[in-house]
Amino acid sequence: MNPILRSRAALGTYLLGWVPVVGLLLGTGMSQGWPLVEALALTVPLAFGGAMLFLTSWYLCVALPISTFKVRNHGVAWTLSALLMGNIWWLMAWGLAEVLGRTPFFPDVVARTRVAWVFFFAMGVLLYLATLALHYLLQALAREREAERRAGDLQVLAREAELKALRAQLNPHFLFNSLNSISALTSVDPGRAREMCVLLSDFLRKSLKLGERPSVTLAEELDILEAYLAIERIRFGARLGVERELDPAAAEVGIPPLLLQPLVENAIKHGIAALPEGGQLRIATRLQGAEVEIRLENPLDPDSPRPKGLGMGLRQVRERLLKHFGGRARLEAEASEGRFKVRAMLPVREVEE
Amino acid sequence: MTGNVLTAVVVDDEELARAVVKEHLAAQQGIQLVAECANGFEAVKACTELRPDLLFLDIQMPKLDGFEVLELLDPRPTVVFVTAYDQHALRAFEIHAVDYLLKPFSRERFDEALQRARARIGEGTPEKVHPADLSNAARSDWPLDRIVVRDGSKVTFVPLDKLDYVQAQDDYVLLKTPERGLLKQQTLASLEQRLDPRRFLRIHRSFILQLDRLVRLEQGATESWVAVLQDGTRLPVSKSGYARLREVMDEG
Repeated sequence: MNPILRSRAALGTYLLGWVPVVGLLLGTGMSQGWPLVEALALTVPLAFGGAMLFLTSWYLCVALPISTFKVRNHGVAWTLSALLMGNIWWLMAWGLAEVLGRTPFFPDVVARTRVAWVFFFAMGVLLYLATLALHYLLQALAREREAERRAGDLQVLAREAELKALRAQLNPHFLFNSLNSISALTSVDPGRAREMCVLLSDFLRKSLKLGERPSVTLAEELDILEAYLAIERIRFGARLGVERELDPAAAEVGIPPLLLQPLVENAIKHGIAALPEGGQLRIATRLQGAEVEIRLENPLDPDSPRPKGLGMGLRQVRERLLKHFGGRARLEAEASEGRFKVRAMLPVREVEE
Repeated sequence: MTGNVLTAVVVDDEELARAVVKEHLAAQQGIQLVAECANGFEAVKACTELRPDLLFLDIQMPKLDGFEVLELLDPRPTVVFVTAYDQHALRAFEIHAVDYLLKPFSRERFDEALQRARARIGEGTPEKVHPADLSNAARSDWPLDRIVVRDGSKVTFVPLDKLDYVQAQDDYVLLKTPERGLLKQQTLASLEQRLDPRRFLRIHRSFILQLDRLVRLEQGATESWVAVLQDGTRLPVSKSGYARLREVMDEG
């Protein structure tokens, strides 16, 4: 829809812009010897008619946006439409004069108008082109505002996603529980308390550092998992066992940082921590042609209902995979025979620096 | 209570977390640690056998969570929750926990909790299980996905998809599964509040039915109806129960 017709204020401003046009027409007419009343009677309705008629230039704006400018298209269309509109405007002036001429007040208006036809035609062409230019300007302004709004939205979305991902990776309860372990160890075993402080700092430092990069090697990711598991082993003691089956050939494959950490956290929180006797966490990687396979497995308590928070963690990992690899990565999760299995297939990529 | 010495049980699946509580308790006079439990089953067993005055209870644990443990204890000891999660605090106080310690905590904060517990125990009113409290507290984990039942110190789970119907029997509810019937001390009304009404419907003053077990309705004598289940069981349907059933069936 024409932006000028979208609000009364816009239409009012536009019509006010035509007041000087009336002034110009009046001045010209009077200098040619037109009586004031006659000139007014002709120019005021004529200007109003022109104002309305030239609003149609919006269609030309929409059909031929300035961004696709070509002399061949735009130049020809602008010239032809301006000539057409100049003609219509002149015919409007003539028609109006004929109507006025039939009243007893303006006996000479038709003759005077017909003499001035070149003037009316030329003014029509110029006024039409001016209106067209105004429409292009309004269109450009609206596009810019829209683009700004969209960019703002996108930025907000991106930041939210980033925050969510970070929050998911650094679960505060992990920190609180670790700090509680340290608090216990300070009196029981100060040496191990210090060891745990070092492990925790080590893990946090690595997470922050890796988290800044667009991608890391699988070896770096597994390294941070080891730091994490070392802390959890102090918390859970013998209940947490870890089996690894790592393919050295997959070590240099690039993956998004901290992709696996939330999955391992889930495996411990919902799997091993829910079993009185604990269990073994299995981590396996394998290079298979152009893909790398990563598997995580943990035992489940058969009495436990399916944990409520689990779906969200998996969904976040899936979203990150989609962002990083497009549709070419897969993540499957299934609970069967008392075990929870997650399997990720990622395309082999170099690490991005 | 043995003399003036209070008895306490600490329940946490992490040994180090238990060690902190133990250490703070050891510095106190007049309180004795009688058991340490690493999961919900052990906690129910120890509390049933030892009847402690005070329970230091973690929430996220293997087998039974802290709230489920409390649900199974009658009489209920005075409870101090000890957890890293602050989102359960409201629910904890709804069931009249005496305090809620967030890990890690200071010696002063622990002593404060213990003082409150002593004051509560000193009032001499044993913690009664109020079904209403439990159902209020249950709002945060609504709807239920399993029911826990205690027989002596043995705990059994009834997953809701196994449950055919529930029948009120005095102060108890009978939970009927294809294999057996289990009794639990609870009112039918408080259980009803914790169930998903899209799956379970009160068809009678004394019966709640799992809807997908219903095969057909038969006209009984004098304006009454009978629900026939998959296994052939026939349950009475009251007039208002019939109206509720019709409503659900018309929607579905």
